[in-house]
Amino acid sequence: MKKDKAIQMIGNALRKGRTALSEYEAKQVLAAYDIPVTREILIKDKKNLDAAIQKIGFPLVMKGCSAEIAHKTEKGLIHVDIRTATEAKKAFKEIMAGMEGFDGGVLMQEMIKGRRELVMGLTRDPQFGPCVMFGLGGIFTEILRDISFRRAPLEVRDAHEMMQEIRGHKILDAVRGMEAADKKRLTDMLINIGRIGLEIPEISEIDLNPVILSGSKPVVVDALIVLK
Amino acid sequence: MPDSTRKTVNRKKTRYPVTDYERIFHPRRLAIIGVSAEENGVGFGAGMLKVIMAMGFEGEIFPVNPKGGTIAGLNIFKSVEDIPEKIDFAIIAVTARHVPEALEACRKKGAAGAEILSSGFSELGTPEGKDLERQIKEIADKGIRVVGPNCFGIYCPASGLTLLPGPDLSRQSGPVAFLAQSGGMSIDFAHAGKWLGVRFSKVVSFGNGADLRETDLLRYLKDDPETKVISMYIEGIKDGDSFFREIKAAAKKKPVIVYKGGLSHAGARTVASHTASMGGSRVIWQSVLKQAGAIQVHDTEELAQTSMAFALLPRKAFKGISIVGGGGAIGVTACDTAEIYGIDIPPFSDELQARIGDHLPKPGSSSVNPIDVANPFVAPQTLKEVLLAAAEDKRVELQIIVSLLFHYKTIAHMFNKPVAEVTPFRELAQAVREVVDQTGKPVIAVLPNAKRGLDNLDITEMIAMARQEYIDRGIPVFDELHDAIRAIANVNTYYGGRNYEKR
Repeated sequence: MKKDKAIQMIGNALRKGRTALSEYEAKQVLAAYDIPVTREILIKDKKNLDAAIQKIGFPLVMKGCSAEIAHKTEKGLIHVDIRTATEAKKAFKEIMAGMEGFDGGVLMQEMIKGRRELVMGLTRDPQFGPCVMFGLGGIFTEILRDISFRRAPLEVRDAHEMMQEIRGHKILDAVRGMEAADKKRLTDMLINIGRIGLEIPEISEIDLNPVILSGSKPVVVDALIVLK
Repeated sequence: MPDSTRKTVNRKKTRYPVTDYERIFHPRRLAIIGVSAEENGVGFGAGMLKVIMAMGFEGEIFPVNPKGGTIAGLNIFKSVEDIPEKIDFAIIAVTARHVPEALEACRKKGAAGAEILSSGFSELGTPEGKDLERQIKEIADKGIRVVGPNCFGIYCPASGLTLLPGPDLSRQSGPVAFLAQSGGMSIDFAHAGKWLGVRFSKVVSFGNGADLRETDLLRYLKDDPETKVISMYIEGIKDGDSFFREIKAAAKKKPVIVYKGGLSHAGARTVASHTASMGGSRVIWQSVLKQAGAIQVHDTEELAQTSMAFALLPRKAFKGISIVGGGGAIGVTACDTAEIYGIDIPPFSDELQARIGDHLPKPGSSSVNPIDVANPFVAPQTLKEVLLAAAEDKRVELQIIVSLLFHYKTIAHMFNKPVAEVTPFRELAQAVREVVDQTGKPVIAVLPNAKRGLDNLDITEMIAMARQEYIDRGIPVFDELHDAIRAIANVNTYYGGRNYEKR
């Protein structure tokens, strides 16, 4: 998706009175800004299941996907490590039932393996405008609050400093048999999140959590984009 | 988006004539408007006139009041128009509703700027107050720069301009500029600087900041040859974007130290994401200041101490230091503190330890680094030898000497003499100065005082005298070791950081 298409999609969502993008839509915006996201397909009908499995391949993650539903984990709308067509059919049924009639579908997503979870995000400060966040992701984000911020636009060295500034910055090094994180790619991601903040004023907040390090490569696994 | 911002700035630049800051900070012809002879000098205007005269302002002063008369030997002009020829700068202290008229008259008289001490403007939050401030802004846009309203004005030691209640501020100029909206903070900082050894280029309290405020002043101070260090106290800023641009540009050229107040009042916004909930005002300010290359401090003491360190220390980071003091505990706690701030206290080689040890009283002393001189009465000449030897270690880039001068009270008792007479503080300060000159490595003096009670006012006085000896010799002096190390760490953050343009 190109940037203008992404902006159009946001416009449509706003006209419908929506306050957020669905995960699927959010990832298309990110992809338009060269931010690496999971390969995924959104399906609404069971008959498209096999084609999606073919395309993404096992193991996969299936998620209920709707802009109207937050907190997918708590609602049992996430099924991970699906390895067979039977499991996929069962998951599809359960997710669709759990959606309680909300508009949306099932997101068929590649499963990113990696033990290191990061968070990235965007907030708008009333004084300083769009500010980008980096930190430890997953469940640690809220527990440790090991995060750093920089105001957009970010220079390369700002992004480097953000990564160095968190207490847990060694997680990006080659540790315990894991590869060192691709800092170049992380840097580009942070700079591009800032760019989204500067170029799309309709977006008020972004949470990318987790961003999983698959080997050395960071991939956005879950994304929330909040609209104004 | 960045392009459009730049355009706005350019437009603004062409709209204003070039600001003549020279005539604002060093006026030769100064009008003070709102000086009443009748009130016998209790009004703001008359008060200002008297403090400026007390400061020994060398230029011409033209008091103005429609009722005329004389004050302090000066004729009071009935209107600004009556002043012969042009004026450089004006101090306006009339009631709010008369301010626009007075300002316009000063503009027509050719003043480059004016400070408005009067209050009764936007700070009231009333439509009348806001309207008066808008009028000030409009007149300013026509070509007179305004400091205030609702401020204490400008203090410039070189010219003798002073803040409202400051007849006794120093006339000694120095490298530190200070900016604040708050008049109270400005006057307190100017007074504290006097005894702490912070010398100012200019202090500006800009109050409501209707015209000149942090952004313009940062732009000016960045290139001001009189200013080597910029200190600021900030509560709010007008425009985050231009503030960031100017503070970053200034910090590239010289240290900018910021005490941001009001972080605890950061309004909670309604947010949907974790990112926004974690990005409150406190963390964003901290991040933005770091990104701009400014040094953030957390109270006025740290602001003053850090300003002094930047003003007096060579422009570099100090990774390794030596500490000379009396008592093992000082050494141990010094190491703890230094470690927190990322500063090394490298242990000396056996050979150097032996040579330092030769100078020290035995037993009880230690020459490892920190050096424990065992008792507080070691002679200044001996301490000089110790400091000279310690400076030979290449890893030592700065030295701290902790002098427990208060112990001399015991000697004073013994000989029944005043404590100031038996304490060799002058010789010590001189020895330290000589060490700096000979080694080329800075020394910081720390003068703790464990005896501050009413029964020891003589010690407090003696230590104030000792402080002055160091200040007079350009040696940074602190009350506590922790304060000194924290100030060094702030210096290190700046010169060790990559935002500073190495020249």
